[in-house]
Amino acid sequence: MATEPLMLDEDEIVLSELADDELVEQMHEDLYDGLKEEIVEGTSILLGRDWSAEKVLNEALVEGMRIVGIDFRDGILFVPEVLLAANAMKGGMEILRPLLSETGVKPIGKMVIGTVKGDIHDIGKNLVAMMLEGAGFEVFDIGINNSVEDYFEALEKHQPDILGMSALLTTTMPYMKVVIDEMVSQGIRDDYIVMVGGAPLNEEFGRAVGADAYCRDAAQAADTAPRLVRVHRAGGTVGA
Amino acid sequence: MIDDPFPTRSAGRKRGGGRKARRGRTAVRAARLRGSVDEYAAWIERRIPCFEVLDAEALELIEHNADTVLEEIGIEFREFPRALRLFRDAGADVDGERVRIPRGMCRSIVQATAPREFTQHARNPKRTTIIGGDRTVLVPAYGPPFVHDLDRGRRYATIEDFRNFIKLTYMSSGLHHSGGTVCEPVDVPVNKRHFDMVYSHIKYTDKPFMGSVTHPERAADTVAMAMLLFGEDFVPRKTVLTSLINVNSPLTFDATMLGAATVYAENNQATIISPFLLAGAMSPVTVAGTLTQILAEALAGMAYIQLVRPGAPVVFGSFSAAVSMQSGAPTFGTPEPSQVLFGVGQLARRLGVPFRSGGGLCAAKIPDAQAAYEAANTLQTAALAGVNFMLHTAGWLEGGLSMGYEKFILDADQANMIAVLLQGIDLSENGQALDALREVGPGSHFLGCAHTRENFETAFYRSTVADNNSFEQWQQDGSLDAARRANGIWKQMLRDYEPPPLDPAIDESLVEFIDRRKSEFEDRDY
Ligand code: B1M
Repeated sequence: MATEPLMLDEDEIVLSELADDELVEQMHEDLYDGLKEEIVEGTSILLGRDWSAEKVLNEALVEGMRIVGIDFRDGILFVPEVLLAANAMKGGMEILRPLLSETGVKPIGKMVIGTVKGDIHDIGKNLVAMMLEGAGFEVFDIGINNSVEDYFEALEKHQPDILGMSALLTTTMPYMKVVIDEMVSQGIRDDYIVMVGGAPLNEEFGRAVGADAYCRDAAQAADTAPRLVRVHRAGGTVGA
Repeated sequence: MIDDPFPTRSAGRKRGGGRKARRGRTAVRAARLRGSVDEYAAWIERRIPCFEVLDAEALELIEHNADTVLEEIGIEFREFPRALRLFRDAGADVDGERVRIPRGMCRSIVQATAPREFTQHARNPKRTTIIGGDRTVLVPAYGPPFVHDLDRGRRYATIEDFRNFIKLTYMSSGLHHSGGTVCEPVDVPVNKRHFDMVYSHIKYTDKPFMGSVTHPERAADTVAMAMLLFGEDFVPRKTVLTSLINVNSPLTFDATMLGAATVYAENNQATIISPFLLAGAMSPVTVAGTLTQILAEALAGMAYIQLVRPGAPVVFGSFSAAVSMQSGAPTFGTPEPSQVLFGVGQLARRLGVPFRSGGGLCAAKIPDAQAAYEAANTLQTAALAGVNFMLHTAGWLEGGLSMGYEKFILDADQANMIAVLLQGIDLSENGQALDALREVGPGSHFLGCAHTRENFETAFYRSTVADNNSFEQWQQDGSLDAARRANGIWKQMLRDYEPPPLDPAIDESLVEFIDRRKSEFEDRDY
């Protein structure tokens, strides 16, 4: 029984022959399976059928990743699978992004993320970046050991909605405040949402350093980020 | 038909030792309440074989693969030109920050000069320990930013907690070493914390301890303080510090760690080069792949130390856990890292250097059943694997995020058991106990026979925490679970604590040094 190949007729599926709703459904499945080429193809097909970029984004990709997110949270999907799904999503996003900006639709969001100065822990940060990409964000990961200057340079260059900082050491997490204080003194604090995380932090610490949100894990970050971006764009204060 | 509890049959028998000596209540109480292991044991002498899982062919395969990694992929030494220079001069191929090392080179550098074992001096010579060989030195947990106890729950650690854990370690005869960052005192400014931490290890205990590694300057301050304590000419000749240098795996060393390691090596102080791997994230998901990476990284780090100062003590470190593939969270006490641990022990012994690993690791948040069984798994594995320096023996909770007061007491109890387990089986005449078998014969019982009377006090490990009473008595005593009982114990220990005397002149010079150094620069929180 175990020798029987699992996929039989799936191989036969020709995306372009599916009706819209079937195709969207299939794209949800393909995202779940992390099939980048298929997602790229599906995205192009829908666009070719005169779907707006925004509609493809929301109905095919974001909805598909929402399902992935649920099953990740419930422990059904594993990290490497979510990584593949996020990568497939990224493939679709690369096609949609220029179209979205042409039509004046705001992207879901952009984020600059990095681990603070003196700190080289990055496993958690990488997971957060992955989950946000999965949620449709454009993520600029500036790596580890970032000084105020590094963060500012990245903000300048990428103009993100969110600045994300990660720290795993009690000796480095206070540096988040150094960055935020500098944003305040340069008068750019309110231009960005600041999100922080890392195992030794907590809600209270997040507030104390003046961040807008502390997230305990990657799933919560992926939940919180789009929400904060919506509020921020609507001109609201996002702080806790 | 009640059995005579002390059969008179033996009463007239002549034995060595003769009449039982008078002791009286005070003496008996004092001796009995102290615990079951010699107060001054500075290490455990292993008398049983190490548990081994790999045969010679398998070990050669791993060693071969590690050399392939070093030669083909190489190791990155980031932002630290000195390491690049030393390796280039030694014959490695240096490309940017990537160092590719010819097959066998690290091994021969390490084997040429790294000591097989070394003495770490304590300010109390009775506690001076030897790391390596057949010895096991037990050390409390390291690094947690939080502390946990039943009364106050989980909170950021303070310098008071730090001192408390040094005191508790001092009073735990099964722990031979005071450790390093027993918890992170977040109430002291980051750039000056190390002064208070090192001072506490000098002041509140007389056991050996570890130095600061979060900045080369902090390592230098640690060495300076050690010189004040031990004397300026003693320190560069003798080893008084053993410090923890983690590899930024995979295959990378960072400038912070290399900087601190260099300071210690130059001063002939010991470093533990530790690939700290969460398999799945920081190393391959398989045991053999992880073993290969551990060996490659440790070899490169230890070779670097030998290039800095030939003969400086190094310890082959290994911390191996896995991540949950469902969330990325670290997991502990699971079987695969145990297999890794057994394997690394073998690799370290073949290389001929001391080996660090193990501890009472767990992912549990509180001192519950998960904490107990995960910790028991890792402690026993480490003990059987032949670990020489067992960091994280006591207190570890939540993947190292939290230091638990009750967990500490529970682990310290386990540590004492390890000492007994590793002692092996006594096959002396007394151990063979033929006398007892002859004396009691068929039927009857051994409770009162001469042999038992001579041996009962130390015959069996007596747990300080476990409750073995009847249900009713347990109920009468308040129906306390293990954690609650441990809660009472650590509080009593802190009440009973008395500091070991420290020469006031040395104390003064240390305080003076700290005050001066602290005034030389601003408080900074990063
Ligand atoms: C922007 O918005 C957001 C939102 C959410 C965010 C976010 C950002 N960032 C994270 N999140 C959140 O979402 C993520 C995913 O769900 C989560 O991320 P996490 O990172 O928490 O979770 C990851 C998925 C898995 N977790 C981890 O990856 C961290 C695990 C532990 C065990 C850990 C590891 C693995 C490492 N370490 Co380090 N390490 C420890 C850690 C103890 C622990 N249990 O956390 C800790 C943090 N380390 C510690 C120490 C002491 C050190 N470490 C060091 C080194 C390392 C390794 C290199 C070996 C390795 C890191 C490898 C790497 N590439 O990241 C050294 C420092 C190096 C340096 N310069 O930074 C060194 C100093 C040890 C030494 N003496 O060499 C301790 C902290 C000490 C302190 N006082 O704060 C420590 C608690 C362990 C311990 N007990 O010693 C959330 O926090």
